[in-house]
Amino acid sequence: MALTITCPICGKRNGYEFRYGGEDKGPRPEEAGITPEIWCDYVHMNKCVAGVQKEWWFHKDGCGSWFSIHRDTTTNLEVKGPEADK
Amino acid sequence: MFSKQKPMWGEKTQLKSSYDAVIIGGGLHGLATAYYLAKEHGITDVAIIEKNYIGFGGAGRNTAIVRANQRTQHNVPLYNEALKLWPILTKELDYNLMFNNCGNLNLMHSEAAMKAARMTIATAQFHGVESHLIDAKEAKELVPALNISDDITFPIHGAMFHPPGGIVRHDAVVWGLARGANKYGVEIHQQTEATGIKTQNGKVTAVETSRGTINTKQVLISAGGYSAALIYGMLGIKLPISVLTIQAMVTQPLKPLLNHVVSSGAYHCYANQTLKGEVATGAHMDQWPNYTTQNTAHYIKHQAEALSEFLPCLRGVKFMRIWGGLADMTPDMAPIMDGNEHIEGFYMDCGWGYFGFKSCSAVGKYMAQFMAEKECPEILKPFNYRRYEKHQLMGETAALVNYTPDN
Repeated sequence: MALTITCPICGKRNGYEFRYGGEDKGPRPEEAGITPEIWCDYVHMNKCVAGVQKEWWFHKDGCGSWFSIHRDTTTNLEVKGPEADK
Repeated sequence: MFSKQKPMWGEKTQLKSSYDAVIIGGGLHGLATAYYLAKEHGITDVAIIEKNYIGFGGAGRNTAIVRANQRTQHNVPLYNEALKLWPILTKELDYNLMFNNCGNLNLMHSEAAMKAARMTIATAQFHGVESHLIDAKEAKELVPALNISDDITFPIHGAMFHPPGGIVRHDAVVWGLARGANKYGVEIHQQTEATGIKTQNGKVTAVETSRGTINTKQVLISAGGYSAALIYGMLGIKLPISVLTIQAMVTQPLKPLLNHVVSSGAYHCYANQTLKGEVATGAHMDQWPNYTTQNTAHYIKHQAEALSEFLPCLRGVKFMRIWGGLADMTPDMAPIMDGNEHIEGFYMDCGWGYFGFKSCSAVGKYMAQFMAEKECPEILKPFNYRRYEKHQLMGETAALVNYTPDN
């Protein structure tokens, strides 16, 4: 499915220039007292939302930026994030 | 499709307020599990609830290829059993599943790929699955249409030949299992969406649907690509899954020219000729999760380029139809079958990626055993959900090209 991604530096570009970087899972867990369960949750586990999710992208064939956007996974369209994220 | 006429599998029934077991998802895994629950374990008070119609998802969108030449020790026996079940099911269900065991030819385009194939073949042979390494000349003898010259992007070095694999008519399996399950009393309710699972004291008590609450102590989610979102949405259980749209297409019908399934990791393309003569081909996955099941010009071009290189006789042939389905990919390319652990009576069967079709027969048998005996059968134990936190990933990824996002 066709997709365009808005890179903060290069602007709106063809989705194939980018690499998907996973769901935004918040900060990396603290190392102190970490359990295999917490680490696994951070590394592997996804919510697989059918709807809007916040996610990471890497502009691999462009400026090399890492950034996050909100996208509706049922339409492949970028959307504005909730107010809290602004 | 949802008319007042009698459905193809049997009588239409009213949705009851309680069942011994509820299966969410009227795809092949759900249908097969229901069939075996009723047939092998006498659990016939079962409802399959399906949001759309049976076979709407992956069951009707896959490219119908079956094989048992996977890579790792736990996967091969399961797929091998699934493969052996096609002729048995054809008889049992009294339904022509159109199993054509034409064999699979997996092309290798480098010495490294040949080496990887040697290991896969050794694993297959160890588990009693027929699989051979052949050179380019032998591949050409098997499929005369192959281009084995050096002047293509990825010249063919040899191939992994797996004679017992082939093609099964996927819709026939849906219809056959639906009829077979219904014969034992299983009810199928289409246009019925599961919206929640109710639990009490760590036990399943009911399934909420768009047509009311169904009381039950056992529920299985086997909803293909939609499973992960459902399981997280209903129970808050996160899974190591990324759901990607996978695309496929068929050409116009041609006279017989391909008598084996031909696939290539390097070209990222597989092709087989259906009994109608169309060349069914696919393999491309979107590299970001989405539920669109839409197609891309990017891929049509890729597919045309790949096919016209290693099967040059297809140059100029037109694509007739194109479609997409969902593949729920896990980091180790192996599925997750687990249940009855944190929540008593809850079972899951998901993460099949693009292997859901070829596995459905055997998985239905063992998931049914799991639900009937409430004890995980030995053969399914390695596919547990906890393997990721134990770093016991399965390593089905040898021939992986560039499927993203997580692997």
